[in-house]
Amino acid sequence: MMDTQFETYEVFHQRKKGDPHVHVGAVHAPDAQVALQYARDQFARRLPCVSLWVVKSSDITATDYQDERFFNITLDKSYRDPKDFDAPAKEPTE
Amino acid sequence: MTAAFSQEAVKTFLLALADDELMLGHRDSEWTGHAPVLEEDIALSNIAQDELGHSLVWYTLLQQLGGNDPDAMAFERPWKEFTCCRFVTYPKGDFAYTVVRQYLFDEAEQVRLRALAHSSYLPIKEAAAKILREEAYHILHSKSLVERLGDATEESHRRMQAAVDAAFPQALGMFEQIEGEDGLKAAGVFPGNSELQLQWLHQVVPVLSGATLRVPVTEANGSLAVRVAPDTGGRRKDHSEHLRQLVDDLQAVYRIAPGARW
Repeated sequence: MMDTQFETYEVFHQRKKGDPHVHVGAVHAPDAQVALQYARDQFARRLPCVSLWVVKSSDITATDYQDERFFNITLDKSYRDPKDFDAPAKEPTE
Repeated sequence: MTAAFSQEAVKTFLLALADDELMLGHRDSEWTGHAPVLEEDIALSNIAQDELGHSLVWYTLLQQLGGNDPDAMAFERPWKEFTCCRFVTYPKGDFAYTVVRQYLFDEAEQVRLRALAHSSYLPIKEAAAKILREEAYHILHSKSLVERLGDATEESHRRMQAAVDAAFPQALGMFEQIEGEDGLKAAGVFPGNSELQLQWLHQVVPVLSGATLRVPVTEANGSLAVRVAPDTGGRRKDHSEHLRQLVDDLQAVYRIAPGARW
């Protein structure tokens, strides 16, 4: 059977200016403009929001869960960790 | 106020606005759980709620002029007492019809609200400015679907054209004259339905034509002449059986326990 589904777009949501855009989910849409509209309905109606990004899911290059070596750290590198002082959480910009 | 006008005429005007929003909102809500894609299901349900919210704004203004409370207006009136245009009472049809109807309605609401934002009648002026902000999104949604479905595939074009053929004469019924309209015009409450229809035509004809859809309108020397008879009657409470069915459905739960607190 022919696949009649639209492509998916990953949705990134920004709560307020200066905050990072955070991945919140995906929508099916015929193009990016409509994807933004659907993203607004699904992710910006109740959550406060100042900006949305949509990115075609197929445009994302990702690592493979099978490829564990990619993240492997075998030697003790704890001397690199900033563990002897408390870094304050980033202050809100507004 | 530039001229005297009857409060009855204002009430007639507000009632028509409120009833239109209520009925279209209900028809849109019939897609909840049935739209062709999940994203549209959510979008249409969202729009349905917005339209119901707009009807509440107008019913509340009516109440302030001595009318019944909004719940009574929506859930206790017999179907023959509503003054919505027939256009908003027809069954939801296929998705193409729903898209075309919503688009034609949204454009009419845009031109009406823009005019009402300059109304000489302060409560209407303030309400219009508030609703207008929400409507900007509706028009974006329905217009982008019309532009895409008009010439996407052979089937989408055929369905959209059939929808325009059916909906266009019905849509003209949105601009049916109401009683006391001349007085409201003279007083600057609103510019009158024939003026609004003209502004509406100048919005919808280029968009539909641009989407490769034929419209029954002739353009000559920059003016637009409509070639079909409008489907009027709703403002005079002359409705089809479709409204009876709609109101039965709309009021069914309320009638089980009138006045219950939820």
